[in-house]
Amino acid sequence: MSTNHDDKFSSIQVIQEGFREACYITSHQTATTVYLAYHLGKPILVEGPAGVGKTELAKTIAAYLNLPLIRLQCYEGLDESKALYEWKYGKQLLYTQILRDKLDHLINRDDSFSQSIDKLHQYDDIFFSWHFLEPRPLLKALQQKDGTVLLIDEVDKSDDEFEAFLLEVLSDYQVSIPEIGTIHSVTRPFVILTSNNTRELSEALKRRCLHLYIPFPDPALEREIIRIRVPDLSKHLAIQLVAFIQEIRKLDIKKVPSISETIDWARVLLILHADNLNPDLVRETLHIFVKYEEDIKIVEEQIQHLTTQAVRVSGG
Amino acid sequence: MDRVLEDFISTLRSSGVRISVSESLDAARAVQLVGFEERRLLKDSLSSALAKSAPEKEIFSECFDRFFSFDFFNRQMEDAPRREAAEGMTSLSRMLLEGDQAGLMTTMREAARAENLNAIRFYTQKSLYVMRILDRMGLRGLDGDIRDLYMSGTPSSASTAARLEAARDYLYDNVRAYVEDQYRLFSGSEAEKMLEDYLRNTKLSNLEQRYFHHMQQIIQRLVKRLNDLHSRRRKPSRRGQLDFKRTLRDNIAYQGFLFDPKWKRIRIERPDVVAICDISRSVSRLVRFLLLFLYGLNKEIIHIRSFIFCSNLTEVTHVFDSYPVDEAVARIQAGTDLPILLARTDYDRSFRDFKEHYMEAVTHKTTVLILGDARNNYNDPQTAILKTISERCKKLIWLNPETKPFWGTGDSEMKRYAPYCHMLKECNTLNHLERVVQALLKK
Repeated sequence: MSTNHDDKFSSIQVIQEGFREACYITSHQTATTVYLAYHLGKPILVEGPAGVGKTELAKTIAAYLNLPLIRLQCYEGLDESKALYEWKYGKQLLYTQILRDKLDHLINRDDSFSQSIDKLHQYDDIFFSWHFLEPRPLLKALQQKDGTVLLIDEVDKSDDEFEAFLLEVLSDYQVSIPEIGTIHSVTRPFVILTSNNTRELSEALKRRCLHLYIPFPDPALEREIIRIRVPDLSKHLAIQLVAFIQEIRKLDIKKVPSISETIDWARVLLILHADNLNPDLVRETLHIFVKYEEDIKIVEEQIQHLTTQAVRVSGG
Repeated sequence: MDRVLEDFISTLRSSGVRISVSESLDAARAVQLVGFEERRLLKDSLSSALAKSAPEKEIFSECFDRFFSFDFFNRQMEDAPRREAAEGMTSLSRMLLEGDQAGLMTTMREAARAENLNAIRFYTQKSLYVMRILDRMGLRGLDGDIRDLYMSGTPSSASTAARLEAARDYLYDNVRAYVEDQYRLFSGSEAEKMLEDYLRNTKLSNLEQRYFHHMQQIIQRLVKRLNDLHSRRRKPSRRGQLDFKRTLRDNIAYQGFLFDPKWKRIRIERPDVVAICDISRSVSRLVRFLLLFLYGLNKEIIHIRSFIFCSNLTEVTHVFDSYPVDEAVARIQAGTDLPILLARTDYDRSFRDFKEHYMEAVTHKTTVLILGDARNNYNDPQTAILKTISERCKKLIWLNPETKPFWGTGDSEMKRYAPYCHMLKECNTLNHLERVVQALLKK
């Protein structure tokens, strides 16, 4: 990472303030990890339940630093050719066709087979050079002159082999392409990996990263997030809403609502011009934050009780 | 300060957090950056550098709070310290009289380090360490001071002596609390590990009910390890050589230019298991663990059909499909809702049942796992059926919970079954079980 961002990472408070301006509220832990990652030049591995803003964190850092965000979405079967580079096979083929005459011309006069091979050997690297290389996200990130934020999203979805392959990129910020050689990063990218913990990541990968676990936020933090993301929502409704969601997270349901769903709900309530939570309103908008049939049944039984509780919290 | 970090890291390690050298270097660099001054900052920094999963974070947080706790000697002494009284006494007495909290804390830590308190492992060692630390802090000098003060006989010295005595109790309490704290810090995982080693090597039939809970955890861990180990083996299927025929065929559309290479694939099958378990009293406990084990693997690698028998034989696969594993095992052992007779073990009838109804379950890909002590109550052993099974299947594994010398004695038919088994193992501890399951998963 280049040195020109030092002022943006001078202390935890500066980071928290800066992120707040970018509409992202961080906990102390998150800010500390970002601070360390910058100063130690290490990637961050972010874990936590879905929808707590793991991907958002990377976007915010990119916005904060005014750097492009390069995103690599992982999935099962992702391999080097999709993540790092690929030879433009079609282009290579096309060029050989177009240049056929030229090649004929080069070789034609020579009668011996070995001589023509020798001649060809003088040119063979041409077809394996930068012109025929299609850089994929990882290589692109290393090539950026001004640095970049590289987001490797849902790394747990990829296979073990790919994970092992990432190690070189993460520890040395370099990649090896057999035909060309080792490519070092121009400017160290700021690397964020996210994982939903569908499988345990390897020790080697974890060792190379700082680890950040983002849990569901506490009520105060969540209220703050709502306030900054949906500024038009009235304060006491925000309090009710957060109290309600926090209670729902305690229920035994299949998928607990995440922050993004809280935000969605807040927006919906804003559009509906609601000024207080009431059971009917909740019942009508329930599907926004509860996504499974069974869950909806469980929550519906509790609506009356939870709503009154939430309204009481706000003092309304 | 590095010494502190080092100690803290070894504490974390002994609590079960895996920390590599490079991670401790990161931690050291992080500490250089943030310093020791601000507690929350230090905690968050170390947490991101050292603890790398949600459970580890929890352990970390607990260890951190305990390790960096300074709430010893925090009770103020009642009277204001009188300096003149402290003259001519040992430093310990002086510190106690003056209520020098920081001094006491430092002396105690130094004494603890000199006595290697971090080597404490068992709770029986606690009082020993308390005495040693007190000795090193200068308890004898303190006792001497108290004696001298009583000897001198003046009223003021008598009151000082009384205050010192109270202070000595206070000192005791604090050192004891400190040792207790450190014991919990350093010994926790160690004791658990010893228990685990013990449990893994004990005969399952001797296990006491109260350890069952532990066993489940151990089994889950073993299962997870096996899963990790073997789920990876499916991956090589994607590596392969160029499938030339398919490549040519698929690229005809491009005028025969090989745009789209196709690769040969290797099919790796999930092991297919038929488990036949004796559930008579003699082997019931082992069955419980075997089934737990197998069904833990069910999700990832094994396709399994299970049968139980006692006086007759019946299939129980559906029980596992409809109940959580624990409950299913309990139901099976009690024979709830199952057409099974829990009388004397009868291999004759059971094998015949199997042959009549379920023989089609055994194919050349199947591994048959029989668990039983082969005690047939002098019925017909039906070796012919076992022979058929053995010929049809890929592998026949027999697990016998009895130790080898007992095979073939009395009504045991083990010796007559033995020739038809590809593998015959004594199996009565968790370690045995793990080895068997590992053999199952091998190609």
